[in-house]
Amino acid sequence: MSDTATLEAGSPDPQSHNPVSEAIADGVLPGRIWLYTNYNCNLACSYCLTESSPRSERRELAPATMIEVAKQGRALGFTGLGVTGGEPFLLPWLPETIVTMAAELPVILLTNATLFVGDRLERAAMLAGHDVAIQISLDSHVADINDMARGPDNFDKVVEAVPRLIARGVHVRIATTTSWSVDDVRLKPLRQLVTSMGVAPEDHLVRPIVRRGRADELSIGVEARPVDIPSELTITADGAFWGSFGPTVRGGRLDTDLLLTRTVLPLSMPAEVLVGLLRGMPAGNDARLGIR
Amino acid sequence: MSRIDLLDAETAPISAQSYFAGGDPGPIVAALATVPELLGPTLGFVGAALGDGAVSTRHKEFAILRTSALQGCQYCIHAHTAVAIDVGLSSDEIRALRGEMPIEEAFTDDSERRLIRWIDAMAGATGPVPPTVWDDVRTSFAAHLLVELSITIGATLFLNRFATGFELPTSSATAERLEEAGMQ
Repeated sequence: MSDTATLEAGSPDPQSHNPVSEAIADGVLPGRIWLYTNYNCNLACSYCLTESSPRSERRELAPATMIEVAKQGRALGFTGLGVTGGEPFLLPWLPETIVTMAAELPVILLTNATLFVGDRLERAAMLAGHDVAIQISLDSHVADINDMARGPDNFDKVVEAVPRLIARGVHVRIATTTSWSVDDVRLKPLRQLVTSMGVAPEDHLVRPIVRRGRADELSIGVEARPVDIPSELTITADGAFWGSFGPTVRGGRLDTDLLLTRTVLPLSMPAEVLVGLLRGMPAGNDARLGIR
Repeated sequence: MSRIDLLDAETAPISAQSYFAGGDPGPIVAALATVPELLGPTLGFVGAALGDGAVSTRHKEFAILRTSALQGCQYCIHAHTAVAIDVGLSSDEIRALRGEMPIEEAFTDDSERRLIRWIDAMAGATGPVPPTVWDDVRTSFAAHLLVELSITIGATLFLNRFATGFELPTSSATAERLEEAGMQ
């Protein structure tokens, strides 16, 4: 009998290697996995990557799939999860699913925060005490400017929701999507507003509009090649994509140029395809362009 | 008009871009790229099944063209009529394999007639191959050659249903070649 045959059943093979965890450790593959819960939204923002609106088809990820992605992602060596839509909080099962996922990996949950009244606010509060940060979109300190892109009354709803969530112990981040540069002085009043709502400065994210989806049709935002887009593995009902800017929609049709695989589970399949592409690609400009 | 999107270099998935690097890869690849993780394995299987092997190129084209005719796949009939011309089949042989004239009029070699009857039993019927058809073909063809041809027939049946079910269009280059040869 050989030495290797004496290993106990279930013990890790010291010779085995995991290309995904190695790529994350090497800094080749970002550690966060993004999940698109759904494509429909109660808003219809002008620069939306996915043309989401109340009329959009839901194209929902099943909760069981999301939880399995979290479990398998952790086993593969991923370090965090990002959840986006559409508007995730349109899904009634969302809070419980996020809590279960957060037991596996830290979660950042993107929302427009316009639904946080009454029962929906209290259900969102169930995320307090778990490794979850709610990331809310707010694009300007001037209500009219913010609402021009994001819809009527958006500003008022957000500035009301943020303190309510924080008061309930929820970790809140703010994300600003802008055509201005990240260090533009015009962002100063917005930074002050964010801080005044109780959000830590390090939890205020500013990023450019990326010229994909509806933004491409309007010719706004920064132009980015695939290598310029952060290569975070992104899971949707339509398959796995290169980056959270991958599964965009224009003219009602899903963009397939950044599609990796239609298969999402086992997660190792799309993850290994992505690693294979990354190992053979030159460095991009995602850091210089501030795309995140 | 295809029933599904035929992807091109701009819309092809990043994981399938290498198939589009040399220009238009044709409707089969353009359609298969919709599921990029299956593109490589499928082309690997189809390429091996339809490509060079122990069976002669001439007899492989018998299997491919005859199967496509039995299944009524216009896309594959057109594509493999062009291939059959390239590998030296006569116009009569091609027309016979396409079912446009009797096999006996185009083929004089008994072993080839027996092979075509076996192909007909494999690709155009259900149930076991009749004993007489099997015994006849075995007098001229070793078992391993028939196994290889059965894989060719299987891959062709897949392509037939894929191309017909999704109504893939004959490429313009193939259509022009067939028109020049009077073999539309």
